[in-house]
Amino acid sequence: MVFDIAILQDGESANCSRCGHFLSSYRADETSRVIAYTSSALILLVLACSYPFMSFQASGLESLMTLPQTALNLLHDGMPALAFLVATFIIFLPALVLVLILALNIALHTERHYHWLRPVGRLIYTLQGWCMVEVFFIGVLVSLVKIGHMATVVMGLSFWAYALFSLLFVLTLSGLDRAQCWQRIETLSHE
Amino acid sequence: MNEISADTSTDMSGEGPMTAASQGLASCHVCLKLADAEQHLCPRCGAALHLRKANSIERTLALLFTACVLYIPANVLPIMVTDQLGQPTPSTIIGGVVLLLDMGSVAIAAVIFFASVMIPSSKIAMMFYLCWSVRNGPPETVRQRTVLYRITEFIGKWSMIDVFVVAILVALINLTNLIVIHPGAATIAFAGVVMVSMVAAESFDPRLMWDQRENNDE
Repeated sequence: MVFDIAILQDGESANCSRCGHFLSSYRADETSRVIAYTSSALILLVLACSYPFMSFQASGLESLMTLPQTALNLLHDGMPALAFLVATFIIFLPALVLVLILALNIALHTERHYHWLRPVGRLIYTLQGWCMVEVFFIGVLVSLVKIGHMATVVMGLSFWAYALFSLLFVLTLSGLDRAQCWQRIETLSHE
Repeated sequence: MNEISADTSTDMSGEGPMTAASQGLASCHVCLKLADAEQHLCPRCGAALHLRKANSIERTLALLFTACVLYIPANVLPIMVTDQLGQPTPSTIIGGVVLLLDMGSVAIAAVIFFASVMIPSSKIAMMFYLCWSVRNGPPETVRQRTVLYRITEFIGKWSMIDVFVVAILVALINLTNLIVIHPGAATIAFAGVVMVSMVAAESFDPRLMWDQRENNDE
């Protein structure tokens, strides 16, 4: 189906008239919004990786866990492939996607054309479906309930940083409109 | 501005809104740009351009069969091994759900059951149905089937919850001589099921279902 979405006003959105699926929405301040979300999310991710995530106490003993350890301990337990996947889905890919989104939106915001805009845009839309930040966070909540009754679990600073990070990550991706974003890239490359 | 675009209200044939394919135009999978379907690369973003995703059904079916094969070790092998006071106890996905039910955590058992059992298996079944329906489905249900496709696309990655739970427990519960948790071999098979079925959903082209309805109309 063919639709003209260039006529959208600030705050409006378009849906497909045949299958009802969302097509695009237009917000005049999209780029500055996305820049704010991504830069705060990146700072939070650094915090989340450098402080204790949760600690587990039973019979007077305590074990402490950090975010990178979720992957590192799998590596030590002889599962390098799984360690790689976990680290990729919850830390590396989200971080990479955020950096790329930030770079792209700074370029769009300052209205400057760079030759890397097109490959970066392609990469963002290919990789974003593989980021599992919010899935991991639900996994954390499930594990908390799972072991909450058999021991004391204390949440660290990193836990709260990651919670906020997943919220901002979801906001970033939902604020980044594919059709509008590419239209801006196209306009810049024609100038 | 899109140089080739038509407003739905100003359709040209007078028979309702037109489709891009009927005009020889293909929509780019990456940037949604409409371009001449004769071209091989999208003029806006440079991604490969197809009228419809290439060999969509064949690819999707092949990936679905792969996911089915991986689903067997994912359920038969232990997903984690709890080593309590030197006594290792392996547990499978279903075993974990039953254990949670025995302990009275009904809500958590339900979350794990949905994420690890219901979602992957129903997603695979739904995708098989969608592939079959492209040729044989009743044309009047095409809108519902498109919604079904959007659901399978959306829920795919949520099945990873169980793998993440294992990763967290392995990292967190690490008290030597008291209790240590090791990951089981099923984790990697299960991650495989989730990833392969995500790629399967991505390679399916829902527009093929709409094409079938249009062909029937003619």
